[in-house]
Amino acid sequence: MTEFGRRTVLAGLLAAPALRRASAQANIQGTINLVAYAGIFQDNYTRTVVEPFKRRFPGVQVNYVPGGTSAQMLGTVRAQARDPQVDVVLMDVTTSHIANLEGLFDEITPAEAPSLAELDPAARAVGLDKFGPAVTYDHLVLVYDARDLRPPLATLADLWRPDLRGLLAISAPPNIQGLALTAMVEKMEGGDYTRSVDKAIAKLRTLAPSVQTFEPNPDGYSLILNGVVRVATGWNARAQLYSDETNGRLGVLLPPEGSVFQINTINLVKGSKNRPAALAFLNYALSQEAQKAFTERMFYAPTNAAVRIEPAALARTAATPANRARMIPVDWVGIAGIRDQWNNRWRREIIAASGR
Amino acid sequence: MKAPARIAWLALPAGAVLAFVYVYPMLDLGRMSFNRTGPTGAMVPDWSLAIWRELLADPFTLELTWNSIVLSAVATTGALLLAYPLALFLFRTDSRWRGLIAAIAITPMLVNGVARVFGWLAILGDRGLVNSILLSAGLVDQPVRLVYNWTGVAIGLTESLMPYMILALMAGFGRLDRTLEEAAASLGAPPWRRFMRVTLPLSLPAIVLGWLLCFVLAMSAYITPKLLGGGRVFLLATEIFELAVTNVNWPMAAALALYTLILLLLFLAAYGALARRAA
Repeated sequence: MTEFGRRTVLAGLLAAPALRRASAQANIQGTINLVAYAGIFQDNYTRTVVEPFKRRFPGVQVNYVPGGTSAQMLGTVRAQARDPQVDVVLMDVTTSHIANLEGLFDEITPAEAPSLAELDPAARAVGLDKFGPAVTYDHLVLVYDARDLRPPLATLADLWRPDLRGLLAISAPPNIQGLALTAMVEKMEGGDYTRSVDKAIAKLRTLAPSVQTFEPNPDGYSLILNGVVRVATGWNARAQLYSDETNGRLGVLLPPEGSVFQINTINLVKGSKNRPAALAFLNYALSQEAQKAFTERMFYAPTNAAVRIEPAALARTAATPANRARMIPVDWVGIAGIRDQWNNRWRREIIAASGR
Repeated sequence: MKAPARIAWLALPAGAVLAFVYVYPMLDLGRMSFNRTGPTGAMVPDWSLAIWRELLADPFTLELTWNSIVLSAVATTGALLLAYPLALFLFRTDSRWRGLIAAIAITPMLVNGVARVFGWLAILGDRGLVNSILLSAGLVDQPVRLVYNWTGVAIGLTESLMPYMILALMAGFGRLDRTLEEAAASLGAPPWRRFMRVTLPLSLPAIVLGWLLCFVLAMSAYITPKLLGGGRVFLLATEIFELAVTNVNWPMAAALALYTLILLLLFLAAYGALARRAA
């Protein structure tokens, strides 16, 4: 074989996987409907994940359908169980667990979605190692008015500061921020939420008179920026983005006492009308490329263990070793089973103590 | 075919639409309430009374019922007291501005409910108009909490009911005859007695109609308690939403929705009987 011939064969061998991949991508066509959160999540997910996917798979059209809350998304999938119009759903883990149990979502294997093999084991465990895995990690933070609050908020215990009386917006259960806060306060008080939340309830009861609203509308971030309250509970990713958009007016605190992860999963709807395209999207959403882009844009911690995130962005997530060490392990599926008990205790022992 | 039978056919289109958009969903809701909910929230298809038993045995259901009835009665009565003089004026006046004033009175109906509630937040909030006036006048040291509690919900609900009350009162003032009041005046009755003995009794049908309509609207109100209640005001309507949309407990949400419907039907029946007796 001539030198030219050998080079041609070698180039051909090297290019074969890429060609096969390109061929496979060209074979995947059609439209998929993705249901996920609205607002800034939609804007940024479209920019960093959906649009690059469409460039990678030009034959696939992705319709991003804003789905409201996870429970509303579950309602959509339940209503369409006999004739699904949705292909991929991104929702909270407690809700996706319900959908898994009800047989609304399909199982996925690493052979179908190779990115699964790169995930943090915990990410696959939330989908029982066969259903949709975790796609983003977020965590509860305290957000505060960084311009007017002196001294700035430094700990979870600062919520009980006398100068914050009447200036707190705390999302109570059944909102999962309230559930997360319960677990955090229990730990702050030296307890363990898996055994009892008595200490947390007693402590939060003393906080109740300082709370202006237990149901911030439209959300705690807006109430702070409008000067209605000084401190609120919130989610890290959105808080970081709002902080940037307001030039730091919104302060974001991961309490040194600890926080808990909130997990979003990505799920394949059983009976999807375009399973190959849905799987391709799901695989891409879990890939290093998509996870890196979304984390660096919106500060959700990635679930792909192989991804390398820019250090500045990583430091604003809970994925750094220091931040991860502060996380309280929470079994959201287990909490779903006792949510009603916590909810009732908040109503009767905490909210009732705040007056009518 | 007799005339009444022929006329009955005219009700067929509306009946069909009602059956499709109301009766069928209600039956579906009834079916849903007999399902069960698993330990982590998954819905289990079944024919079980477990959800109904749980609902009726929970003291919180009674609390929700009481809260809803009291709040609705307070807001409706407040709306009646505020709307009655205005409605009477609009019914009586010959002013050329009558149309304009009536339009202004019912303008809140044309404004989106959410926008209206956020307007109240701006007025009644800690840094709102009312508290600014109270603080600057030195009448209070700290802002008075007027929102995110029962007070805020009662104020917001009263205001939202007023246009409906005004319309219902004006529609029901048909029996109000000015000559009867003139007769009472000519016999020496002072204005207050004329009102108590002639005007008020004659406007009772309008009051009954307006109160009933607004009470039912208040019982099903969701936006105002949700946004002005600050998570402290627990009502049937807000709880149904929480169960369905946050807790994903559809069977319980369905059972509570039917419970509320049955409660309102019983109330309407009792109210109708009382109104007939009074008439």
